[in-house]
Amino acid sequence: MPFTRFVEIGRVAMVNYGPEHGKLVVISDVVDQNRAVIDRPDEIRRVVPFKRLILTDFKCELTRLAKKKELSAALEESGAFEKFAKSAWGQKIAKRKAKANLSDFERYQAMKKKQARSKEISKAVESMS
Amino acid sequence: MVYGNFRFHQYHVVGRHLPTEKDANPTLYRMKLWATDPVRAKSKFWYFLRKLRKIKRANGQIISINEIFDRSPTRVKNFGLWIRYQSRTGYHNMYKEYRDLTMNGAVEQMYSEMAGRHRVRQPCISIIKAQVVPAALTKRANIKQFHDSKIKFPLTRKVVRPAEPRYRSIFKGKRPNTAIFTS
Amino acid sequence: MVKEVVRGISKQGRSKTYHRRGLWAIKKKNGGKFPQHEKKAKNEPAVQKPPKFYPADDTPHPKTRRKVVAAAKLRASITPGTILIILAGRFKGKRVVFLRQLPSGLLLVTGPFAVNGVPLRRVNQAYVIATSTKTDISKVDASKFDDAYFVPAEKKRQKKKGEEEFFEGDKEKKSLPSEYIENQKTVDSALTAGLSEDLKGYLSTRFSLKSNDRPHLLKF
Repeated sequence: MPFTRFVEIGRVAMVNYGPEHGKLVVISDVVDQNRAVIDRPDEIRRVVPFKRLILTDFKCELTRLAKKKELSAALEESGAFEKFAKSAWGQKIAKRKAKANLSDFERYQAMKKKQARSKEISKAVESMS
Repeated sequence: MVYGNFRFHQYHVVGRHLPTEKDANPTLYRMKLWATDPVRAKSKFWYFLRKLRKIKRANGQIISINEIFDRSPTRVKNFGLWIRYQSRTGYHNMYKEYRDLTMNGAVEQMYSEMAGRHRVRQPCISIIKAQVVPAALTKRANIKQFHDSKIKFPLTRKVVRPAEPRYRSIFKGKRPNTAIFTS
Repeated sequence: MVKEVVRGISKQGRSKTYHRRGLWAIKKKNGGKFPQHEKKAKNEPAVQKPPKFYPADDTPHPKTRRKVVAAAKLRASITPGTILIILAGRFKGKRVVFLRQLPSGLLLVTGPFAVNGVPLRRVNQAYVIATSTKTDISKVDASKFDDAYFVPAEKKRQKKKGEEEFFEGDKEKKSLPSEYIENQKTVDSALTAGLSEDLKGYLSTRFSLKSNDRPHLLKF
């Protein structure tokens, strides 16, 4: 099967290492076979090795080493970051984050909900057999 | 890579022979060189100067030393490095090309490549010339292949790494699957 | 020096300065001289000979202590009505309601007793996790419970029991004074009225760590 995600100018990628874990960035230029220049509207352009990046399905139309203005315009037009948030992958990340931010009381409520749900399920299963 | 966090920094050193009765205004010599700190840069300056002119540290003086920074540290450039190094058999000259954002980065790449490929350490290498080379004048195929504004290539191996070094584990229950699945 | 309000402007005006400097005393009608005290002759300190030898024995000297024991400062995350998780003692893991801080620095908490069996009690805030959940305790009057309330009436240590007495057992069962029970009931009824069913259930369950919980990453 052919590849669908490519390293290319404008490709949205995610940092998967270090304190910036989970941050979305845009590939701005390719340095060599191991490293790319990445960019974000709110950050200075810098180099990140491909080992610390995961490519996503999304990209925006960009030229090489585009200016910040062009970058934010291209991101706005393509809606790549929003599209990522809506994708299954993005939703999974959002869910995980929401779960980690639950307070003690909310954890209790979730536990109760889950108990009620599994009770219903086991009841339904029992009635079938 | 953080800008400024380099092993080797570029220094601009100016020095001359001490003024004498014969010559009250000796010629100034300037040199751009790479060193880990200004002290070593001055030492390197005398090393080169006493090879080229009849001046040594005992009868010379340093006029100024400044660090040189790249003007565009967020733009990828092609760097050509002309070097001369001493191997176990003799002296060799070399021309190498690197792609990097800064010249310091390219110099660092060169030192580690020379150490890896030829087992030559930093003290045995002298950089003769280092400059930005326009894309059309580059020679190495490995550099030329990146001169494409519509560059496109896949990453063919996926290695899932722990998010931080402290999450590393020595033993794993499962062999990692490094294939990139596409649908 | 008198303070300056701005540079060049003294804090005291002309008349005050006049009195402060004592210029009135120099006037002719007041003697024309500054009043002066005669200097007291200083008692010459008795010449004390230093002891010839160092003392042979070590004499213990009490350590001078300058520390003042002050009540602990209440953590910012704990406010009246906050639900706390008790971490130590027989009620560890219980979720309780914080009522107020006592002068001793200890926290006055209650289960409420009707919900999870924790009576009105004092806890050190070091043994407590503050959660972000708050309850309404405006109807609870906790002002009459002070530190003395929690000191038992008969604090005297009883003689150690001998073997015979041990097997005899207690002659009469100690019971809590009815006043304490009454107080608990009034606090409970005022507190539980404002609690939702969810909150009651929450308070009645114990907190514990599960296998994949990382306490340093949990939010409370």
